[in-house]
Amino acid sequence: MRCFPLARWLVLLPLVGASAFGATVDASVRTSAGNPLENAVVVLEPLSVAPAKRRRTVTIEQKDREFLPYVTVVETGTLVEFPNRDPFKHHIYSFSPAKVFEIKLYADKPVLPVLFDKAGEVALGCNIHDWMEAYVLVVNTPHFGKTGVNGNTTIRDLVPGRYHLRVWHPQQQTEAPQREIEIVAGTAPQHLNLQAKVLPRTPKPKPPLDADKY
Amino acid sequence: MVLRTLQRRIAVVFVGLLVLVMSLIVGLVTQSNRRMVASETARELEVGSHVFQRLVEQNQRQLETAATVLSGDFAFREAIATQDRATVHSVIRNHGLRIGAQVMMVISPDGVVMADTQQPLKPGRAFQFVDLLTSAQSAGKSSGFRQMQDGFPYQIVLVPISAPKLIAWVAMGFQVDDHWSAELSEITGLTVSVVRRQGNGVSLLASSLDGARRLALVQALKAAPDSVSGVLAIGQEQYQTLQMPMAQDLFVVLQRSLAQAQAPFKSLQTVLLIVVLGGVVLFALGSVLLARRIGQPVNALAASARRIEDGDYSQAVPRLPLDEIGQLALSFDHMRERIASREEKILRLAYEDTLTGLPNRTRFLETLHERLGSGSGAVVLLNIDRFASINHALGNAVGDRLLVEIGKLLGQLTPTPTLVSRLWGDEFAFLLCGSDRAQAQSFAQMLLATLSHPITLEGQRLDVDGSLGLALYPQDGKDAVVLLRGADHAMLAAKRRRLGYDFASSNAAQPVYEQLSLVGEMREALARNEFVLYYQPKLDLVARQVCGAEALLRWQHPVRGLLPPAHFVPFAEQTGFIREITPWLLERVVEQTARWCAADMEITVSANLSALDILNPALVAHVRSLLAQHGLAPGLLCLEITESALMDEPELALAHLTELSALGVKLSIDDYGSGQASLGYVKTLPVNELKIDQAFVTGVTQSSKNAAIVRSTILLSHELGLLVTAEGAETTSDLSWLSEAGCDVAQGYGIARPMPADALAGWVADYVSQHASAHGAL
Repeated sequence: MRCFPLARWLVLLPLVGASAFGATVDASVRTSAGNPLENAVVVLEPLSVAPAKRRRTVTIEQKDREFLPYVTVVETGTLVEFPNRDPFKHHIYSFSPAKVFEIKLYADKPVLPVLFDKAGEVALGCNIHDWMEAYVLVVNTPHFGKTGVNGNTTIRDLVPGRYHLRVWHPQQQTEAPQREIEIVAGTAPQHLNLQAKVLPRTPKPKPPLDADKY
Repeated sequence: MVLRTLQRRIAVVFVGLLVLVMSLIVGLVTQSNRRMVASETARELEVGSHVFQRLVEQNQRQLETAATVLSGDFAFREAIATQDRATVHSVIRNHGLRIGAQVMMVISPDGVVMADTQQPLKPGRAFQFVDLLTSAQSAGKSSGFRQMQDGFPYQIVLVPISAPKLIAWVAMGFQVDDHWSAELSEITGLTVSVVRRQGNGVSLLASSLDGARRLALVQALKAAPDSVSGVLAIGQEQYQTLQMPMAQDLFVVLQRSLAQAQAPFKSLQTVLLIVVLGGVVLFALGSVLLARRIGQPVNALAASARRIEDGDYSQAVPRLPLDEIGQLALSFDHMRERIASREEKILRLAYEDTLTGLPNRTRFLETLHERLGSGSGAVVLLNIDRFASINHALGNAVGDRLLVEIGKLLGQLTPTPTLVSRLWGDEFAFLLCGSDRAQAQSFAQMLLATLSHPITLEGQRLDVDGSLGLALYPQDGKDAVVLLRGADHAMLAAKRRRLGYDFASSNAAQPVYEQLSLVGEMREALARNEFVLYYQPKLDLVARQVCGAEALLRWQHPVRGLLPPAHFVPFAEQTGFIREITPWLLERVVEQTARWCAADMEITVSANLSALDILNPALVAHVRSLLAQHGLAPGLLCLEITESALMDEPELALAHLTELSALGVKLSIDDYGSGQASLGYVKTLPVNELKIDQAFVTGVTQSSKNAAIVRSTILLSHELGLLVTAEGAETTSDLSWLSEAGCDVAQGYGIARPMPADALAGWVADYVSQHASAHGAL
């Protein structure tokens, strides 16, 4: 637990550093209907330079019988912690080809974090709470962003150059083919207006907590 | 028979009504049953179809739930997610077994079959039921009935497999087979069949029916392809049928057997029928018992009535409980008592003489009739002598009291006769059963001796004499009427001859049956002129010449010769035939007298009149017309009447006599002295002549008493201005005595016997010539 504030700091530090000399992209993702799309992931993969990998640790909590956050984007080689904040156990699993794993019934925190070392989409579920659903998008780049409620995200510290642009969303019907974009140096953020075809998310019914909170 | 009829009638009415009511009930029940069966069947089918649909839905949900649960199984999901074909295959097979699905398929989200337990060798093809998949994609799951490759219909449930994202669809197929149909049939109470219709072809896929009926159902459905619902005959049975589409060309056929629906009603009807029959039997028994309870007292009453009908009033009508019939029985018993007492009274009146209290004529005849058949005996008839005079002189009341006294006397006779009876008036009859002639005779003598004692009535001594007639049976007759008549004749003979008593056998020479035929013979005799008149001359004792003649009736009987009047005149008087004879006689006499008169022989001719003739209102007119017709001087006709003939109706007789006297016809009292008439009485009559009874005259010279009576009678008669004729002058000494005694006229054998009319003139001429010389000789 002591390492947690340290880890956060470690994550923040390069961002702050990068902002000092890289370009910034402001991406806005909208649905076909033009509505802002939350939880869309915008990934920029440099064509030329493979950035140096940094082993990082990300946390996906289980709280109030939900995964938090719903969508997580990680670079390959990221360790993901699955701390359990609920007073009862969870049994999380993934059958996604990018990462098949299962953490059998556990409380607090599993013994080991899970290493996501293969790019791809990983759907997370809990075997004992069917409605619990989360997605981890594993990418080979550190440049990515996740849209908020307003459908916007900002990707900073980009080295100017050519990038593959990818937009992903858990409810995306078909992913649009990757396209290349040119990131130019400059202070002004580069705006990207992106669109994604998604199905509406239909959350599985979540039963209310019992009186004794189980 | 009456009882049985009554019973039957009651039973028939009661049972008939019951049967009628029960038939109505049974009919109504049957009719309403039929209606109820029809509506009930339709309703059951409707309800059953709802239940069926609900069951199918419920089943579907359960299957969905079960499939959902199964699809949530971690290992299942894991196996499918891993895309390991062999594992997937075995896992769906395993889980299919778990849930009881015969077919399990895994379909990728884009509709490609990834695994299939039914056709494990053909993966990669598209899922054949696209519609199910489409609806599952929009609704999250879907289900429906589909026919699979094996030909069976399946209930297919399509549920998603999420991990947690949709990774595949799993289709579970539950075979719709006979078992399925049977289960649903059991719950719905309907027969459940699943058929497939393709054009006109019908194939049965599953059914709760048994083998034979399946074929029949298919045949029936083929025959009626369009009928969605209605009554369908499967073989012999009727089914209310409803067809519902399951999917495309699959139909479920729901049926309710009418026979099955009728079964409870049938049993109800059977029970009802048993109840009705039992009720009818019970009712019949009950009504027969009731009828018997009513009938038995009625029977008892009927028996009593029959006894009463037979004249047995002795047995009381049985006491019955005081219900209506009991009341009837009581009234009936009162009636019986009344009838008994009334009949007793009637019998007494019918068989008893009210005056004397002795048995009457009817009783006597009945008893005699009864006794005639067995043994012998005697009938004795008693007639009181001179009773008419007593009645006349002393009044009817005294006469009646005299009869009562005589009755008492006769009731105390010893030896007691079998029966003492008063026949009528002053005539009594005695029945002496077992008596022979000698005993009857001694009885008669005893009876006469008893009567000879004077009877004192109101201080008057009355000498009562009686004449008896005795008839013996069986000698004198075997018939009560004949015997009584014989006794009557004997009695009359005894009275006439003053014998006291006489026997019928000595009195009636001729057989009784001849007497019976006498009236008819007399009538024929009159028509055939067999009656003839003989004339007996009357001699004037003073003038010594024939002064008249008495006409005497004779019957020139073709077989029996000349019959004297004693043989038929009493009978003619009794029967009233005398009234036919007398007019004829009078005509002959008047005619003859007139003829003699014309021949210069002027004599007075007498004719006898009976009591009936005197009372005949036509008599006077007849005499008058005869006299006028023949121009005869009335004085030449003399009519003789016995004193007893006047006694029946003295006033009328007197009136007729007065009229005859006024005509100028001579009237004469005949047989004076034999009756009760006194000269005092004769004096009041308009008569010219008195004829002294021959009983006094015959042998008057030998009896001083008779001589005294005749002499005093002659004297007194002369004093009263009457001519005296003596009858029965048989000898010349009689004639001499009479002549000396001053008798005016004499008649008798001493002068001449009766002779035919033709002979009289000659005889008179002879007599005149003889006696003229004799007279001359005197």
